[in-house]
This record gives sequence, structure tokens and C-alpha cells, in this order.
Amino acid sequence: MGNSHMIRANGIKKNYGARTVLNGIDFIAEQKKITYILGSSGGGKSTLLKILIGALKPDDGQVLYRDMDITKLRGTGLDPFRKKIGMLFQQGALLNSLTVGENISLPIREHTPLDDNIIKIMVKMKLELVGLRDFEDLYPGQLSGGMQKRVALARALALDPEVVFFDEPTSGLDPIASSVITKLISDLNRVLGITCIVVTHAVEEAMKIANKIVILYKGAVLAEGTPAEIRGSSDPIVQQFITGSPDGPISFHASSRDFREDLLVE
Amino acid sequence: MKNFAGHLGRAFITFLQDLSSLYYLFRETVLQSFVLITDRKKRRQAGLLTQIDEIGTQSLPLVLAVASLLGVAMTVLISFQLKEVGGYNYIPGLVAVAIFREMGPLLTALIVAGRVGAAFTARIGTMKVSEEILALETMAINPVRFLVVQRFLGLLFSLPALTMLANFMAVFGGFLFGSTRLGIRPDTYVRETLDVLTFTDVYSGVVKAGVFAVIIVMVGCYRGLVVEGGAEEVGRATMLSVVSSTLAIIVLDTFMTGAFYG
Ligand SMILES: Nc1ncnc2c1ncn2[C@@H]1O[C@H](COP(=O)(O)OP(=O)(O)O)[C@@H](O)[C@H]1O
Ligand SMILES: [Mg+2]
Repeated sequence: MGNSHMIRANGIKKNYGARTVLNGIDFIAEQKKITYILGSSGGGKSTLLKILIGALKPDDGQVLYRDMDITKLRGTGLDPFRKKIGMLFQQGALLNSLTVGENISLPIREHTPLDDNIIKIMVKMKLELVGLRDFEDLYPGQLSGGMQKRVALARALALDPEVVFFDEPTSGLDPIASSVITKLISDLNRVLGITCIVVTHAVEEAMKIANKIVILYKGAVLAEGTPAEIRGSSDPIVQQFITGSPDGPISFHASSRDFREDLLVE
Repeated sequence: MKNFAGHLGRAFITFLQDLSSLYYLFRETVLQSFVLITDRKKRRQAGLLTQIDEIGTQSLPLVLAVASLLGVAMTVLISFQLKEVGGYNYIPGLVAVAIFREMGPLLTALIVAGRVGAAFTARIGTMKVSEEILALETMAINPVRFLVVQRFLGLLFSLPALTMLANFMAVFGGFLFGSTRLGIRPDTYVRETLDVLTFTDVYSGVVKAGVFAVIIVMVGCYRGLVVEGGAEEVGRATMLSVVSSTLAIIVLDTFMTGAFYG
């Protein structure tokens, strides 16, 4: 069946002013699979994710959720799609004025007619999923970065989404907190069958749990495949990417202009 | 010179864009207010009383203190002028009309713009740059209903109420000074005040306060919602919010004062 995609990107382009960030991205994220999108910092990963969740309109291209092009939807037209997805933001984006429990119950209160007692139980269940059951009365500011991300993940799971998007879920966390999150992603997928789409620059993690890896380079898809396929790639850029070597085809200079030219202009 | 004209042109275009965005935000706010008012569960969640407490009750001491001093100061100034012609019996009416029509609403609105409007921008702007607002949208929660509506309804109630209390306090300040230091008999002072003060004086102040409340909420929330960048930008937006709402309040006050007399 060629119809097993959950999210499909077709030729996504995005410019900020004169600067091209995404220049035709195509990939498929299959149902009930973990898809990792790897790219360097400032490479447009967050931009791509915002386009995938409909928060940002691409200049060109489509994003298909099953068979629905979500780039054509605006305002409340996006709501049915939004109730089916969860998003873990890079900084968590928990509401700081609400407790952990209130943060998680917010989408449930908003979109279901359930009464307070049932919502309380659901919040406990979601917190249990991320291993933070006794924390519901604390405020986000009282938690460590890793715990905040787990709470944010519990919130993303509040409405039992089909797909969860992750924006650099482990960046800025210590190694243990990172592997906790990575294991959570893997468990969510295995146990609950949630389709996971993760953007990150953490190659190791991707190699460990991804079903499919998509590598972004200069605004386009450089390579795509299973971790084994990516590891076996003969492309020197791909190799440099997964080994993280400073020497290779990828220049350390972000600017395409010649350094000498820049000096001469001064 | 050409450069200056270019700046002016761009500033004017930005101003028009802001104005049209403000209009859309206002429309959405009014729409979402009805959604909130008619939905019991959402109304309970919005915490209107908390807003009224934060906006109104907590501004009250400052507003009352400033208002009573203003009442005294105005009475002192007017008495200097009237001393020459021996017209002390005009003082109570003059002071009351000036306060109810002009000084009370204006002063209260300016204090609240600096205190509450700035806080709206800072709070919402911080939420914007930490992507909390994007998170709300992603959860299909309308940010205007979630963040703007309760502030709108809260201030729409609180500012006229604060203004009325400030008016009474200012008149009372004038009364104290007039009856203790100028030798106007207390019962005469009260009677003169009530004789001169008309219904229009009172209600024009309430209308003004309502309009100022809309300005403070809309400008304060709008400046917060459009912040891009980081903490520095939130600070700049807060400053801009106070400057633009102050300016708008003073300009509209002048027009409304003219209109109510016309
Ligand atoms: N709203 C914006 N306006 C202008 N430039 C932006 C904006 N958002 C991101 N950029 C730029 O686009 C590039 C990609 O950003 P981003 O998608 O955040 O990258 P990543 O998440 O991979 O680090 C960066 O160089 C960033 O400076
Ligand atoms: Mg990013």
C-alpha cells in the first residue's frame, strides 16, 4: 500500500526575506514509525517542523497529513488536525503561570466535556507515562530542564495524538536526561503505536531508535534511509555528518562568500 | 532630508498596519468575549474575578492616593485665582466638574496604562518569545480567548469603577482643603458640588473610562502578541506599549471632551 504515510512533505520551500532556508524538501514519515530528521544548527529544522504542524505557511509545497493538505488550511480549519497531533517544543513551552497538572489538563478541558475528577485521573496517567506522577502541583520553573521536557511531552500526549513532533528533544540536557527522553520516544512508539517525527542534530540517538533517517543539508534532503543504510552510505558528506568530523566537504564557514572578499570590502 | 521623508513614510505605513491589526484583534476579542460569556465552563476557567482583583483592587491604593492629592492641588490653584474676585463659592462646582469630566478619567487611565498595560505587554510578550503562544495554537486553543478576553472584560469593568472612586476621592480632597483651609462651610461645599454637577458630567467620565480601557487592553496585548526575538524585545515592546497607549489616551481624551461639550 502506497498509502501508509502519516505525514508527507512535497517540495517544501521557505525563504526568510532574501535568505532561502528550505529549498524543496520531500520525505515520507510512515504510520507508527519513528522518523528522524537530522540537520545542523540553523539549518531550518525548527522552520520545517513549524511548517509540518501548520504554524507556518511554506512559500511552496504541500504537507499531507494522510490525504489532507494542511498548508491549505487556516485558522480554525486546522483544529481537527491539531487535535490529532502533539508537539514537544525545543524549550518545552509550558505555560509558566500554570502548575504541571494545569498545563496537562488544559487541552483536555478545552476539547472534552469530561468532569474534573476524570481529568485529574487522566493527568495522573499522562504524568505516569513520563515518570513524574507526584509533580502535578509544582510550577514549571521549579523543575529541571529535562523534567520540563517530560512534562511538555505529557501535555503533548494529553489528547492521545496519532503523531507527535519533537523539536530537538534532547538538546541542552545531560546524558542521562537525554537517554530518558530517547527511551520515552521509543516506548511511545512501541507501546502506544504513536508515529514520532523528531528533528535533531543528535546523530547517535537517531541511529539507536529511528526507523528512518532523513538528512537535511543546505535546505534539501541529502540522504534518506534506515540507520543501517545511512551508516553504509558512500557519500562523503553523509559520512562527515554522522561522524561529526570537522574536516570534510562540509565547510565550517556558514557564509558562502569568500572570507578574503569580505576583508577587502571593509 | 530625503532620508527623513523616507523614515516618516515608513513610520506612517507601520502605523496604518498596526491600526488595522489592532482592529482585527479588537474584533476577535469581542467575538471571543461572547464565546466566553455564553460558555459556563470556559467562563469559570478564565478567572475573571482574579483579573478584576489584579487589575482593579491592586491599582486602587495608588489611584486613590494620587486622586486625593490631585483634588487638593486643584482646589489650591483655583482658590488662588478666585481669591482676587472673592468667588470662593464657585470652587466646589469648578473642582467637581473638572475632575469628573477630565482629570479623574485621564489620570486614572494614565496610571493604569503604566501599571497594568505594561504588565499585559510584558506577560504576553514573554509568553510569545518562549513559544507558549505557539504551543496554545498547536493545542487548538485560541490565544485571544485564552489571554486577551479576560483582561479585556476585567479592565472594561475595573477602569470605570476605579475612575469613579478616584473622582470621589479627588472631590473629597478638595472638600477637605476647602472646608478646613479656605473657610467654606462643609454643608455649603457639599450643596454647591451637588448643584453644579450634572448627569452628563458623571456619565461622560464613565464613557471615557470605557474607551480608555479598550485602548489599554488592545495596545498592551497587541504589543505583546507581536514581539519577535528575546527578552530585550519584550522590554522594548513594553516601553512602546506604554508610550503608544498614553499618546492614544490623551489624543482621544481631547476629542471626547470636545464631543461631550458640543
Ligand atoms: N522568523 C524568522 N525570521 C527570519 N529568519 C529566521 C526566522 N526564524 C528562523 N530564521 C533563520 O532561519 C534559519 C533556520 O532557523 P531554524 O529553523 O530555527 O533552524 P534550526 O532549528 O535548524 O536551528 C536560521 O538561520 C534562523 O536565523
Ligand atoms: Mg531549532
